[in-house]
Amino acid sequence: MRNQLMFQIPKKGLTVWRLYGLFNTLFIAVLAGVVSFLTYKFEWLSIIYYIAVAVVIIVAITSIWLFPKIRWDHWRYEVRENEIEIQSGLFVVKRTLIPMVRVQHVDTTQGPILKKYDLANISISTAATTHIIPMLITKEADDLRARISILARVAEDDV
Amino acid sequence: MSEKRYKLHPVAAIINFVKGLKELIFPFIILVVANGLNFSLNPLEEGFWSNIFPLAILSLISIVYLFSGIVKWWTFVYWFEEDELRVEYGLFIKKKRYIPFDRIQSFNYKEGIFHRIFGLVQVMVETAGNTNGKPEVVLTAITREAANDIEDITRKVKQQETEHLEINENTVLEEPTIQNGKVIHKMNTKDLIILATTSNSIGVVLAGIVALLSQLGDLIPYEKLFEEVSALIKFSFVIVALSVIGALLLTWLVSVLITFLNYYDFTVVEENDRLIITRGLLEKKRVTIPLNRIQAIKIVENPLRQWFGYAAVTVESASGGFGDKDQKITLFPLISKKELFQPLQNLFPHFEWEQTLTKPPKIAKPFFYRIDFLWLIPLVAICSYFWYPYGLLSFLIVIPAILIGLWQYRTTGFAMNGQQLTIVYRMLSRVTFVVEKKRIQALESKQSYFQKRRNIATFEATVMSGMLGATARARNLKIEDVEEVMEWFEK
Repeated sequence: MRNQLMFQIPKKGLTVWRLYGLFNTLFIAVLAGVVSFLTYKFEWLSIIYYIAVAVVIIVAITSIWLFPKIRWDHWRYEVRENEIEIQSGLFVVKRTLIPMVRVQHVDTTQGPILKKYDLANISISTAATTHIIPMLITKEADDLRARISILARVAEDDV
Repeated sequence: MSEKRYKLHPVAAIINFVKGLKELIFPFIILVVANGLNFSLNPLEEGFWSNIFPLAILSLISIVYLFSGIVKWWTFVYWFEEDELRVEYGLFIKKKRYIPFDRIQSFNYKEGIFHRIFGLVQVMVETAGNTNGKPEVVLTAITREAANDIEDITRKVKQQETEHLEINENTVLEEPTIQNGKVIHKMNTKDLIILATTSNSIGVVLAGIVALLSQLGDLIPYEKLFEEVSALIKFSFVIVALSVIGALLLTWLVSVLITFLNYYDFTVVEENDRLIITRGLLEKKRVTIPLNRIQAIKIVENPLRQWFGYAAVTVESASGGFGDKDQKITLFPLISKKELFQPLQNLFPHFEWEQTLTKPPKIAKPFFYRIDFLWLIPLVAICSYFWYPYGLLSFLIVIPAILIGLWQYRTTGFAMNGQQLTIVYRMLSRVTFVVEKKRIQALESKQSYFQKRRNIATFEATVMSGMLGATARARNLKIEDVEEVMEWFEK
């Protein structure tokens, strides 16, 4: 069995994911509200009310509570001298290996919500793929970006 | 220093125009069909103006295309300056593009019918940087001599530079050998016919012909025919059988014709570490791929071809193609599996072609078809509910799904040795994906909850190819095997 990767995403990241889930739920709730209103107005089947409520509750439970928790548990990463390894996934756990030699550039991005929580995403691009390590403390993300770019420069194409 | 500026051949204007027209064909057909073919040219008739209006817009657009074609040709110039190929065009917005010669990877040629008549070629300049599938510069139509000139100048400049470097490094100068190309592969007529017969596109052609016949059905006065036919009703079986055979024959002929047009005189030549592929009857195409730009090699056997012992070989290239959407370049459209390995061995001596594969464990068998149930069950449920009781027949679809799954299980496998990774997998066609470690951009292992319980996992390797890259996936292998691959990749 391969070793569990060392670094996890900060606990704050989980909060932000829950916040995203909340927005998601609100959006669905508005939709459900519109459907319920139409049902009321045009006197459709009353079962539609129950379905709408059920959908909102399910979305709330999964996207605010369950999915962020599972995702947070699965997310791990490690930046080593010769490669970057990322573990991610919700139902399917993925482990990705990116050799340093293949790294072309590293970006950090930060939206308004992430900024408020002092978090940032790192995305690592190779010639063919892009990989993301989300929700890192801004300072750590900047350091990591700098470190990857130095390592990527040092790593020589040995073949 | 002002260099001589070259223009494109005037035919380029017509070609640009025709290319624009091609895009209009579909809206035009839709319009004509929607109007039900009953155009009238009498302005006094009712509905004339509303009928003619869309047509007028289309003609207006085509006039615009004609003008833009002419303007583009009028303003387009290219020249050589400071070891760069420079291109400039545009009337109101000037576009300029300068490409240093040493950045140019290859020149690809295409000759359409217009080109053939006037002895011209379309030149597509490929550089290393373009990954969006479009060539850096397209010279729509220039004479063959002009094309040769460009290639000569580029080669000279490149040589000077390498010589320059070599002198600096104080090494012995070696005359750059311009060897004559070695023919790697050539297709004959028999191959072409087999290629056409076994290609996947034969299904598409069949669908097209059936659609065409059903459209014609509206024009044929069936009721009238039926009265006459009813007299012949006892022969109806013969008629049906004949028409089916006729349709199949027609399909096959069309398919052979298309293949002949596209793949006629298909030749692969190796020259100075580059592969040069030429093909086409009416429209000739020529692609050049530097061997070191090849990222991975795929041997594809569709079920029919596997049955007959034939395969196709394509390469994933970092740049190139015909500037179309396909980044995959077909190396051998059709080759018998016995003859396959010799030319590949010659081209890519660092690869091993036949090796023992590590297969998925027995316990993984159900995983290959169980995943299909995810979409099969809702589908069957919906069919059964809405078209009860006949919808229940949709349960039968489970059988082929399981069979294909089992087939995929039997095909899947992988092998590593030294710097080489081989992955064999099947969607429907059996694909053998061969790649060097240094070409793999990222390696990913995947494990679902159910796979974890059975200690199996999937892994996939991505190489550079076009915008998205190309991925090969070996599914449901033993977790130890997958971890071994990950470790191999780390070293």
